[in-house]
Formats: sequence, C-alpha cells, structure tokens
Amino acid sequence: MSHLVLEGLGKSYGSAVAVEGLDLSVERGEFVSLLGPSGCGKTTTLQMIAGFVPVDRGRILLDGGDLVAVPPNKRGLGIVFQSYALFPHMTVAQNIAFGLEMRGIDKAERETRTLEAMALVGLKGFADRYPRRMSGGQQQRVALARALVIKPALLLLDEPLSNLDAKLREEMQSELRQIQRSIGTTTILVTHDQHEAMALSDRIVLMNQGRVEQIGAPDAVYGKPASAFVASFLGKTNVLRGTGDGSGAVSIGAFSLPIAGAGAGPVQLAVRPERLSLAAAGASGFEVRVTSRVFQGAHWLLTADSAAGPLILMRHNDGQPVPAEGETVTLSFAPSDAALLAPGDAR
Amino acid sequence: MRKNSPLALCFHALFVIFMLAPLLIVCVVAFTPEGYLSLPTRGPSLRWFKAIFDYPEFIRAFRDSLWLAALSSTVAIMLAVPAALAIARHRFPGREALTTLFMSPLMVPHVVLGIAFLRFFTQIGLSGTFLGLVLSHIIVVLPFALRLVLAASYGIDQRIEHAAISLGAGHATVFRRVTLPLILPGVVSGWLLAAINSFDEVTMTVFIASPATVTLPVRMFLYIQDNIDPLIAAVSACLIALTAGLLIALDRLFGLDRLFVGTGKG
Repeated sequence: MSHLVLEGLGKSYGSAVAVEGLDLSVERGEFVSLLGPSGCGKTTTLQMIAGFVPVDRGRILLDGGDLVAVPPNKRGLGIVFQSYALFPHMTVAQNIAFGLEMRGIDKAERETRTLEAMALVGLKGFADRYPRRMSGGQQQRVALARALVIKPALLLLDEPLSNLDAKLREEMQSELRQIQRSIGTTTILVTHDQHEAMALSDRIVLMNQGRVEQIGAPDAVYGKPASAFVASFLGKTNVLRGTGDGSGAVSIGAFSLPIAGAGAGPVQLAVRPERLSLAAAGASGFEVRVTSRVFQGAHWLLTADSAAGPLILMRHNDGQPVPAEGETVTLSFAPSDAALLAPGDAR
Repeated sequence: MRKNSPLALCFHALFVIFMLAPLLIVCVVAFTPEGYLSLPTRGPSLRWFKAIFDYPEFIRAFRDSLWLAALSSTVAIMLAVPAALAIARHRFPGREALTTLFMSPLMVPHVVLGIAFLRFFTQIGLSGTFLGLVLSHIIVVLPFALRLVLAASYGIDQRIEHAAISLGAGHATVFRRVTLPLILPGVVSGWLLAAINSFDEVTMTVFIASPATVTLPVRMFLYIQDNIDPLIAAVSACLIALTAGLLIALDRLFGLDRLFVGTGKG
C-alpha cells in the first residue's frame, strides 16, 4: 500500500475544470514534484491535499485512510508557502513552536524540539529574531523548520523557492534535498520551474490543463517525453516531421531509422538538441542548413532549417570545428534518442 | 530627498500656523484673569480653571462623554471586526451593498440623523435615555471603525492563517493568535478614531440628549448660548491637553504613524 494515494481527484470552479481524474501513488519517503505551467491545476491539487480547497471528486488516501472528510487542522501535514507565511508578530522560536503548542506538548519538550528544528535548517542562534529582520532565504528556512517540527505525515511545498534569487535558490535546492533525505518525510513539491523539479524529485508529475501528462523519474520524463507538451515544456526539444512506412521504420528525407510503434504516414519525433550529432562523412543522415550560431561558453547553440522542420542543436565546446552560419551539414541521431509523439498531438 | 525652496518652506510654515493658531489662541485665552474673552495681558491666571469646578454639570458631562465614547466605540469595533473580515475575504451577493450601508452614516448629514433618532427613540420609548445615546453613537462611529479595520484586513496574507491551520489551530485559535494580532493596528486606530468622533459629536447629539444625559460638547454648546466668558476656553484647553496626552501615550505604545498609515508590520 502506498503512503499517499490520489484516486480520480477532481475539482471544478463553476464550469471550469481545475483538476480532472488525477491518479497518483506516492511511496513513503518519496519526493514527488507536481510540475506544469500556471493554471495547470498543480496548486489546486496541493490545496486539496492540504484541505484548503474542498474535493469535488475522488479520494485522497493517507496510509489507507481517506483524508477528504478530515478538517485541515487535523490532517497533520506540514506546509511551506512561496510567501513564507510566517507569523510576523512572533519570533523565530515562537513561529516554530506554534505547531507543538497546538498539540499540547509541554514547554520543555517544545524548546528542545524547536532548537533541534532550528539546527536542522541551519538557523542556530536566531531564536529571538523577528521574521521581518531576516532575509528571504532565512525566512524560508524558518517556514521549513516550522513545518517539519511537528513531524508531519507529508511535507507540502508550494513553490517554496520561487521568491529567492537564482544563486540562493540553487543552494536551497541542494539543502532542501539533503534535509528531506535525512529525515525521510514524504514530500510533494509544486513548482513551475523544471530545473527545480528535476534537481529535487524522485519522480515528476507533469500536469497541463488539469490533467496529468506524464509521471516518471526526471531523466525518464526528459528522455522519453510522452507528448509534444511534455517535450516542449521540459527543456529544449526538436519535433521532427518524418514519414512512417507502416512496418516500424521512419524516414526523414534519405535518413531512415527503426522506431517502435510508428504507424504509416506522417509521424512526429521528439529529439533533444544535445542528442543530434553531426554525421560522419559518408554515414547516413539528413541535411540541415545552419541559420544562426550562438556561443554560450561551455557549448554552442545552433539553429537550422531542414526538411523535417526548424530545429536547434547543441555542440559542446570541445575544440572541434563548429559549422558556420549558412553551411549545410548532415545530422543523425540514434533511434533510442527519439521519442515518438502521440499522433494528432499538435504542438 | 530634495530640499524645500524658501517659498515652499514659507508656505508650509503658514499652513501649520493656520492649523494650530485657533488651538493656541484658545489655550492662551484660558489663562486670562479678566471676566471676558481676552489675551492675558496682566499675567496668567488660573481663575477660569478653578471656575470649572464650580460647575458640576461640566464634570458630569465630561464623565458621561467618556463613558459614551468608550462604550459606543467598543461596540462599534466589535461589530466592525467580523464585518470587515467577511467583506475583505469573501465574495457574496450584497457585499457591496452591505459595505455602502455600513459606511452610509458618513454621508447622511448629522442634523438629519439627529431628527430621525429623536423621532425613532420617542416611538420606541428610548428618548432621553443613555442607552439611546449609545445606540445612536454606535451607528455614527461605525464607519470610522470599519474603514480602518477593513484596510488592515485587506492587507493580510491568508496563507499565514492557512499555515496556522495546517499546524493544528482551530478557528478560534487562529483568530486569537494570528488574525487579531495581524489586524491589531487597524483595530486600535479604528477604536481610537471612533472614540474621538463619539466624544466630539454635537450636531446629532444635541437633538437626542436630555437634561439627564448631556455630553460635554453639548453642555459647552448650551453654555455659550447664555454666557460668553473664558470658562469655555478653560474647558477647551483642558480637552486639548487631554487629547494631546492621549495621543502621545498611544504614540509611545504603538507608534501613531503605524496606526494611521498602517504599514501592517509590527
């Protein structure tokens, strides 16, 4: 039995469907991200788990018990918000101890556990500080400590790092991951930042327009996107138009390769820019004409036109010559690097 | 910040003088030893301050006014807090209409309110009672209380309350430990403004007050209809000193700019 199970979860606002038919099983200790553009229903889903948004359809099972009828203050979940949502009139220690106080834990134990939580998030010595006198990163640590000190069954993170600047966000990401690993709390993260989702999660749930597009480990979802939406949302990708011959082969011009499951007629293949390579002289491939070339330090980013459509490719700055603008080159890719997109799945 | 030009400084100075001059003049006149309103040219005297104690009506009216202000503003703030939270948080039919209704005493001339209350209280048998006075003042000061609590309520991030709920707090605890402290500047300033307005109200009260329930402003108004002497200046000077003292005390406790400008941060 999974730790957390969402079964056919759905929510509508009037005639607008916010979340529909969401099924998800989360194992104990797992870190799962709900990733998608704004309005995809990821925050609504988190709010339903937290209990702040009533569930219209489906069930939320935590260790087999249905949470839907449990009021939000009895669910025992830890939540961290993007806006930190600290109590501005309380000190750091008072903020963190609030949940323990609500549980009727005596003062001595409250103090020990508050100090432990502060040490866990690296805030020793900040006990009597007020939140307004702290930086965004420090405030987010307080929020994390406050959520974790109650030993929640689930840790829910609602865009927790979006208000931080890029450098701090990266630091906090690795720290968050490390803290989550060390205490083993099952965690659901809501984010629109694909890098954050990929860096932190065991599994990613990619959502779009209230529905799940794909669930899987970050590298699996990145490498084998199930739809054009996933392919385009997660990193840069090329959607190549080819022709299937009906017997499992796809051809792009003179370049032909076996793709399992490809039907007859027009097909679309998703290939990551870094997986497109220059074909060795005489090897098979398809011709493209380079239209622009941008140097980005560790690599070159090239755009090109081809019979399969416009595409981008990446060349590592490894000392090898890089095609110039206007040059025509031959590209190829391995069948395992191409993901077949569902037919009719327009971009 | 740019320095003010001499012309602007001159304008500001004149403006401040224009605002403060009447108060200053009243305070100075209160110290006159003469029997008529004049500047104390023969040195200051406490004659008219002592004279206040010869008129127990003033002392009694002052006490009644304080009670009236305290009661009506307290009840008004107790009505304003739930009303403001409902208006700030929820979208319900009639929300706009309700807000306008609560604010409407500001728009109706107090003379009209006075006549209306006089008639109404006579009808239901409350005329000339202290209760009637309190009820009418609650209605008149409610907009001030509501406006300031509303401004504070709009500023609350509801996720702060959600955080408290997720940590196990019930509705009552969330209100007492989180919501109320967050809107406290609005509540205190709303209460203060309501109390000042109740204490100050004369146009409407003059219609409702009976000889048994006369507020200080009404008493002063009745007094100067018969006599023009520095006694009224002495009473005014006392009120000014009291108000200034109260404001200074509040400033020390909460910070007045925080109460009235309402940054919402502690």
